Amino acid sequence: MTTLLTLSELSVTLQEKLILSGVNLSLDTGNILGLVGPSGCGKTTLLNTIAGFIEQDEGDIYIEPNINIEEGNMIAPEQRNIGMIFQDYALFPHLTVWQNIAFGLKNLTKDEKFTQVTKLLSLLKLNDFSARYPHQLSGGQQQRVAIARALAPQPKLLLLDEPFSNIDARLRNELMLELRGLLKQLEMTAIFVTHNKDEVFTFADKIAVMDQGRILQSGAPLAVFQQPLNWQVADFLQIGSWLPVAQNRECYQTALGNISMDKANHYPRESGIQQPQYLLLKPQHLVLSQNKTVNVRVDYVKITEHGFQYLLSSLLEDDLLQFKQISYFSQQSYLQGQELALEVAEHDFQIFYK
Amino acid sequence: MNLGNKNTTWKLVSWLLALALITPVLVMLISGVSSSSDLFSHLWQTVLPTYISNTLLLCLLVVFFSLLFGVPAAAIISQTNVRGKKYLRWLLMLPLAMPAYLVAYLYTDLFDYAGPVQRLLRESFNWQSPADYWFFDIRTIMGASVMLALVLFPYVYMLVRTSFECQDQNLIRASRSLGLTVGQSFVRVVLPLARPAIAVAASLVLMETLADFATVQYFAVNTLTTAIYDTWLEYGDLSTANAIASILMLFVLFAVVAEQKARAGQRHQSTRFNNQIQEKKLSAGQQMFAVCFCWFLVIAGFILPFSLLMMMAIDYASVEQLNDLLSSGINSLKVAVYTATLATLIALVLALLKRLHDSPMRQYPLQISGFGYAIPGTVLAMAMLATLGPLDHWLNDFAVMLDVDRPGLILSGSLFAIVFALMVRFAAIANGAINSGIEQIPASLDFAPASLGLSLKESLPKVHLSLLKPSILVAWLLVFVEAMKELPAVLLLRPFNFETLSTQIYQLISDERLEQGALGALLIVLFGLLPIVYLNKKESNV
Repeated sequence: MTTLLTLSELSVTLQEKLILSGVNLSLDTGNILGLVGPSGCGKTTLLNTIAGFIEQDEGDIYIEPNINIEEGNMIAPEQRNIGMIFQDYALFPHLTVWQNIAFGLKNLTKDEKFTQVTKLLSLLKLNDFSARYPHQLSGGQQQRVAIARALAPQPKLLLLDEPFSNIDARLRNELMLELRGLLKQLEMTAIFVTHNKDEVFTFADKIAVMDQGRILQSGAPLAVFQQPLNWQVADFLQIGSWLPVAQNRECYQTALGNISMDKANHYPRESGIQQPQYLLLKPQHLVLSQNKTVNVRVDYVKITEHGFQYLLSSLLEDDLLQFKQISYFSQQSYLQGQELALEVAEHDFQIFYK
Repeated sequence: MNLGNKNTTWKLVSWLLALALITPVLVMLISGVSSSSDLFSHLWQTVLPTYISNTLLLCLLVVFFSLLFGVPAAAIISQTNVRGKKYLRWLLMLPLAMPAYLVAYLYTDLFDYAGPVQRLLRESFNWQSPADYWFFDIRTIMGASVMLALVLFPYVYMLVRTSFECQDQNLIRASRSLGLTVGQSFVRVVLPLARPAIAVAASLVLMETLADFATVQYFAVNTLTTAIYDTWLEYGDLSTANAIASILMLFVLFAVVAEQKARAGQRHQSTRFNNQIQEKKLSAGQQMFAVCFCWFLVIAGFILPFSLLMMMAIDYASVEQLNDLLSSGINSLKVAVYTATLATLIALVLALLKRLHDSPMRQYPLQISGFGYAIPGTVLAMAMLATLGPLDHWLNDFAVMLDVDRPGLILSGSLFAIVFALMVRFAAIANGAINSGIEQIPASLDFAPASLGLSLKESLPKVHLSLLKPSILVAWLLVFVEAMKELPAVLLLRPFNFETLSTQIYQLISDERLEQGALGALLIVLFGLLPIVYLNKKESNV
């Protein structure tokens, strides 16, 4: 597999504010990259910089085989062969569906144009709507037109800015799988931006977590999920709950009992001993205790498709170790206010420094 | 929302107001259509076809030049990094304050055979007579069109610039990512999206052109407006004048329909969040062209005529002139203050009815009262004469019956007719300003006072009217200035010996002696600047 896109030390300053700082990223041909991070972290700016709508202040963008965009060698968006799907779809309101899709087709004969548009219309199930105007379409149909329009000039890279944010939550999953299938079928390389961690795990081959203009971690979804590099990544992806820990001579103390030091891994690895420390507690590692006295109280009950989710607070009143909101999943029904005895099961503990 | 027991009274009042404003035009149309005078058929066989084709040609040329000036100016200011943009942005609106007939007079003075430009040329090149060289003749239909376009293009500039600035920038980005250059995407996306705004602006220019009287009269270009004037004042034939006015109304109707259609097309124009326009960086050559283009318009449309006027005013200032100025100035003020106050009050009543009344017909009074804007002053004057003349006769007959003194022409020959006509003409301006103010008040505020135990009578002054204060001021100011400037309606309807600033200046222009009225002309222009300055200040505060 070849690398299609390489970003090195990319920095962007807008209105005297550093929006992107030293971004490094690469993407292989045919892969889908999910760019995820909180609102305002610079995701859309990164997308716009790759597309060419914003000029970088430092760093290079390299697109296989021969586009090298660096300081002093800006390449106009129309020469980059990068397609884009906008959050609001940005369909031309004065053109029909057909004209929208054909918009970017240049240097083709009339017949070739017709074949290409017809192909896309049927690929995206838009045959019945080709004569309509964008405002006569539903949100999902508009999205499909936007996709068809962006695919028409056969871009090397497709950028999608929050593609599912305007879609009804109930239909979102289905549309995501459909679009992923389509992109895979066309062997399209794509980057999509979202602030929704569920989307990124459904849609992406590779994910990159951003915060405050930097890429915190990138890699395969499972690798990032299992080994988050620091607490921001784990916190944003909501991989587990945070259980405060205090270091003893031979073990870690927590409000749910002591845990062994031998199995603890520390993140980030390079940092020395800093306070406070937290154990990343995934729901499957929190179990009912047979021999302990009650140590948590149920504050909130949520019914989900896989049983009950409880938010727990500690009964212990210790400034350092007490906690407010730890998630616990169970098939067993408990009442709000009920007190339980829980413990942390043995596993490779992940200890984070905030 | 219900207005309680005042409901019917309020409704009745607003319908009556709206109908009163439109009735004279209906009367004029009926009288015009049923006219059977010999003069009309004579005119029809002789000069009317020329007048009609002149009117059409004038409209076409003025719209063409206004678009030629206004659209590029809008594009330069909204899309590029042209130098001095901050100032040019509002300087380009200043020509609106210049009455076209003043510009026409001043440029004729400048470019005529006896004017300083040709004199200088003759001296420099030693030409002796007109046969030795060619110089454009400004007193033609082409000249009149350029003069009108020089002061009307700001309508195009303002509307189209706003439309450009409200466009969803993602649409332009989308076109770029689909392979279009900046220039191509301007032609294929930006311009088509602004088409409704361009059409609205073009129809406004069309209406203003149809309403112009003094410029074409001064240039001796015979159009329908001048024909109405001549027929009435020279032949004294009211019904023929009405008939010609009715023909002119047909033209106006076309402009109104075009405007309404264009506005409907603006519906799916987006005003979304991605409005940070990425300015096009101009090359040195482009920068030069853009700067020259914009400054040419500002100088030709405002600075040059204004300076000429200033010089005239300083050179010819005299006590005598000040006296004339004082009396006509007071008359102008009277007319403008009455009109502005009444039009604003009526607009308030109609707009509040539309807002607070829950009947399906509620918006019609407001709409009906706005039609007058499209009607040229000459036509309106005919309408007033057609309606108020017979009314005056009835009143006088009635007085005789009652055995009291005849009141004379108290309606048609007084300030009443002028103020009424101007109100009809400018109601739309006041309506627009107040209605857009009302639409900015959240609907929940209609109900909030009631939930706090206040009746509508108590809450209206406290909530709606106090929120509307800025809009009321704008409405008043705009109508005031338009009423100051309006010429043909006042010219035709004024009582004997009643001069306003504009009629006085018109007389002096006709006699080629503007010098003696330069001070008054300056005053009209300065008043015209008021709303532009005010609106610009408001815009920069947002």
